[in-house]
Amino acid sequence: MAVEAARVNDDLIEALREIVGPRLSTSAAVCEQHGRDESYHTPHPPDVVVFAESTDEVAGIVKACARRQVPVIPFGAGTSLEGHVAALHGGVCIDLGAMDQVVAVNPEDMDATVQAGVTRAQLNTYLRDTGLFFPIDPGAEASIGGMTATRASGTNAVRYGTMRENVLALIVVLADGRVIRTSRRARKSSAGYDLTRLFVGSEGTLGVITEITLRLYGIPEAISAAVCAFPTVADAVNTVILTIQSGVPVARIELLDKRQMEAVNTYSDLEYAAAPTLFFEFHGTERAVAEQAETVQAIAADLGGENFAWATRPEDRDKLWKARHDALYASLALRPGCRGWVTDVCVPISRLAECITETTADLEKSPLIATIVGHVGDGNFHVVLLVDPDQAEEIAEAERFNERLVMRALAMDGTCTGEHGIGHGKMDFLIAEHGEAVGVMRAIKQALDPDNIMNPGKIVRV
Amino acid sequence: MTETLTPETAEQVLETVQWAAAEETPLEVMGAGSKRAYGRPSPAAHRLDLKALSGIELYEPMELVMSAKAATPLADIDAALAENRQRLGFEPADLGPLLGTGAGAGTICGAVICNLSGPGRIKAGAARDHILGFHAVSGRGGRFKSGGRVVKNVTGFDLSKLMAGSFGTLAVMTDVTVKVMPEPEETRTVLVLGAGDAQAVKAMSEALNSAFEISAAAHLPAGVAAVSAVASVAAAGAAVTALRVEGPEPSVVYRAEALKALLEAYGNREELDTAESLAFWRQVRDVGFFVADGPEAGQAQVWRLSVPPAEGAGVAARILDAADGRVFYDWGGGLLWLALAPRPDGGHEAVRGAIGDGGGHATLVRADADVRAAVPVFQPQPEPLARLTARVKEAFDPKGVLNPGRMYEGV
Ligand SMILES: Cc1cc2nc3c(=O)[nH]c(=O)nc-3n(C[C@H](O)[C@H](O)[C@H](O)COP(=O)(O)OP(=O)(O)OC[C@H]3O[C@@H](n4cnc5c(N)ncnc54)[C@H](O)[C@@H]3O)c2cc1C
Ligand SMILES: Cc1cc2nc3c(=O)[nH]c(=O)nc-3n(C[C@H](O)[C@H](O)[C@H](O)COP(=O)(O)OP(=O)(O)OC[C@H]3O[C@@H](n4cnc5c(N)ncnc54)[C@H](O)[C@@H]3O)c2cc1C
Repeated sequence: MAVEAARVNDDLIEALREIVGPRLSTSAAVCEQHGRDESYHTPHPPDVVVFAESTDEVAGIVKACARRQVPVIPFGAGTSLEGHVAALHGGVCIDLGAMDQVVAVNPEDMDATVQAGVTRAQLNTYLRDTGLFFPIDPGAEASIGGMTATRASGTNAVRYGTMRENVLALIVVLADGRVIRTSRRARKSSAGYDLTRLFVGSEGTLGVITEITLRLYGIPEAISAAVCAFPTVADAVNTVILTIQSGVPVARIELLDKRQMEAVNTYSDLEYAAAPTLFFEFHGTERAVAEQAETVQAIAADLGGENFAWATRPEDRDKLWKARHDALYASLALRPGCRGWVTDVCVPISRLAECITETTADLEKSPLIATIVGHVGDGNFHVVLLVDPDQAEEIAEAERFNERLVMRALAMDGTCTGEHGIGHGKMDFLIAEHGEAVGVMRAIKQALDPDNIMNPGKIVRV
Repeated sequence: MTETLTPETAEQVLETVQWAAAEETPLEVMGAGSKRAYGRPSPAAHRLDLKALSGIELYEPMELVMSAKAATPLADIDAALAENRQRLGFEPADLGPLLGTGAGAGTICGAVICNLSGPGRIKAGAARDHILGFHAVSGRGGRFKSGGRVVKNVTGFDLSKLMAGSFGTLAVMTDVTVKVMPEPEETRTVLVLGAGDAQAVKAMSEALNSAFEISAAAHLPAGVAAVSAVASVAAAGAAVTALRVEGPEPSVVYRAEALKALLEAYGNREELDTAESLAFWRQVRDVGFFVADGPEAGQAQVWRLSVPPAEGAGVAARILDAADGRVFYDWGGGLLWLALAPRPDGGHEAVRGAIGDGGGHATLVRADADVRAAVPVFQPQPEPLARLTARVKEAFDPKGVLNPGRMYEGV
């Protein structure tokens, strides 16, 4: 039976103060800020925000909440997009931002252990002198804890995978306040169920992740970047398919549609062709990146790719990638004052061109203004809908559009979310996509969090 | 009396498990039975044999994905992939010969469920990283699917990760969709001769940290190298540290040369061509060096240890100081295979006691059934984790009908 969530009371606040002292706030502004993410979803502030500094503190906080059956919402950087951090039933938000220590770096084993609040940029700055780096790069300054909890990816997934493949071990505070290490630094193989990976992508619904051990990679000897415009999205996507199939280990392949390119040209004063455009990046030895770029150029040329430009010097690469970097701001500038509603479907790459083409046609029929950017190497693309949250009819139209898009993707054997996750925004799509698996997920949720206190109302209803 | 149930469709698997759950009758789930001897012996009443669920359901070479029914032989999968110059990225081992059940019998879901991951794991990832989706029947008697056929999918809990390495104790997989990879045009192996174990691990670490994209790194002490299937390795008369480079020919040639220069300080260097490389790594993958001293011939017990690479040599030294046996290293030193003189208790306390502060775990892969029934085959879990394991098992299989006790007693 689901237990009605209890509310925070003075007794709990007192107990929390004993653990974190002054690092606690009930001020409306702080709570407000912790109940909202970067999306169009309605904010739901928690009753209190505590700023934890250690695993022990988190364990104490969760125990205090568990005893009173008060909801616990872990908070990393608040950049998620599906209402993940909304305190739907009130409760205690644990802000992990102050847990920002890099605990250990083991260059010989190519791994690093960090506290949950470390951001990927902080980690990479820390690693600067080791010759190693951590490749997963969501487009926002997310925390490693939040990235683990959402199984995030970025532009590098084709070559380096996502959080799913790059988390080696975790320390997790369970729903009853007990602390587990899911595996140690050893590369995991078959010692029991892979609980580490069960927490990866659990969106704060199974426990609070306090420490993460990550796999690192050697900084490539050479990097080159390339940009190429195509007559149609289909030509661009076919270039991607042939590239991957030929075994070229591309690090990044990003697609920007015609409208996105126009937006970027205006916003950043660039002179790219107003056409579907691919951005590439190659990592490897000097020789390998040169070979890779040549192979891709030949494939692109066969498919009508024009003005293939490539660069190896860092400043030239930055210039090439500027359009991609500025994409979001350029889109938002198309309609000052609006917010971005970002869709996230992922389809088999053989259906990608078809899916984007149909989606573009759908957009043309609708009054919505939108751009498309895609991590095309994975079949994942985002339609950035520029909406005014105060216009109910516009939000409703965006909702209908998004639903059509998701159903289109599902009909093509795709998924409703390639990287942003379910939160509470996509729970119905999860049911549409997985049906009975939702029952299995619910059973897991109940096994690990019988009182439903961990981020209740996300992923599955209990 | 043991009965063998042989469902022919996923629907029939569902009915069988529903029946077992209703009757609370435990089932031993079997693909081809090639790994029956891996894990604790399961005291199941009946056998659920999936062999009729066989066949490739979807193969899109362009997209690098394949779906196959549960008991599709790996041999069939390899053959279909080879026609398109592709392969499974996780290099599943054929443990049949090691376990005394014969070569070439493994099935796709058997490999995935045991999370068998070969030498390429250090670069390409484990079996669990290659699963895109699957259909299964839980011990509760419910059909469900997870994931799909796209490479990125964050719809809720990552059930495929839970299935890989669950040894059939949570759900019966009826089919699986995996990523496949292009076969590299060229494969070469750089050998360093004569390095001691600790030095070898350093050399491998240095190579793996370099920009030369090593796809596998193993070290064979002299006694193990001597039984290599590759003549030049067997004849080396010294320890052999091996580093694999794959890709287009010019790039491989360049990287192999660069690697030899990088590792100059560690000893004389040699190189294996593509054919020799394939034979060499197949034997590493299948633990072929320890097949000959199998159950009939001398009964060596085989342990598999996963430890931080930098601690691998130390752990092995501690074990071999106290016991008779041989070791070789895969995954840059992070995976140890040990063949030890047989003991009634498998020497499990000494083996597990040798694992240091960096952590790790040890699995008793080959031993007589009575030994496997008496000592923990899988690394015992600390209390909170053991409790979670039991709860997850309970969530999937409350009546305990799927491979009961195969991983842990009572689970
Ligand atoms: C401009 C922009 C670009 C983006 N680009 C990408 C992208 O390329 N790829 C991508 O995958 N995502 C992307 N995102 C989404 C977002 O950045 C990711 O989901 C990110 O992983 C969230 O991390 P966070 O630290 O902000 O987590 P939060 O938003 O704080 O939390 C996210 C969820 O994880 C839980 N959580 C947070 N920390 C913990 C913890 N320590 N333990 C347990 N649970 C925890 C929370 O309860 C919540 O459910 C983008 C977002 C924006 C705004
Ligand atoms: C609400 C919202 C959600 C969004 N979600 C996502 C999302 O999930 N995924 C997503 O990709 N975009 C997303 N976008 C769009 C994205 O945020 C914008 O495109 C953003 O401007 C990209 O910034 P970035 O940091 O990801 O860098 P990008 O422009 O995407 O560049 C990719 C990466 O390349 C690297 N790079 C650039 N140039 C070079 C060079 N010369 N050499 C080496 N490395 C280089 C950068 O470090 C960067 O990490 C979202 C936008 C909105 C509004």
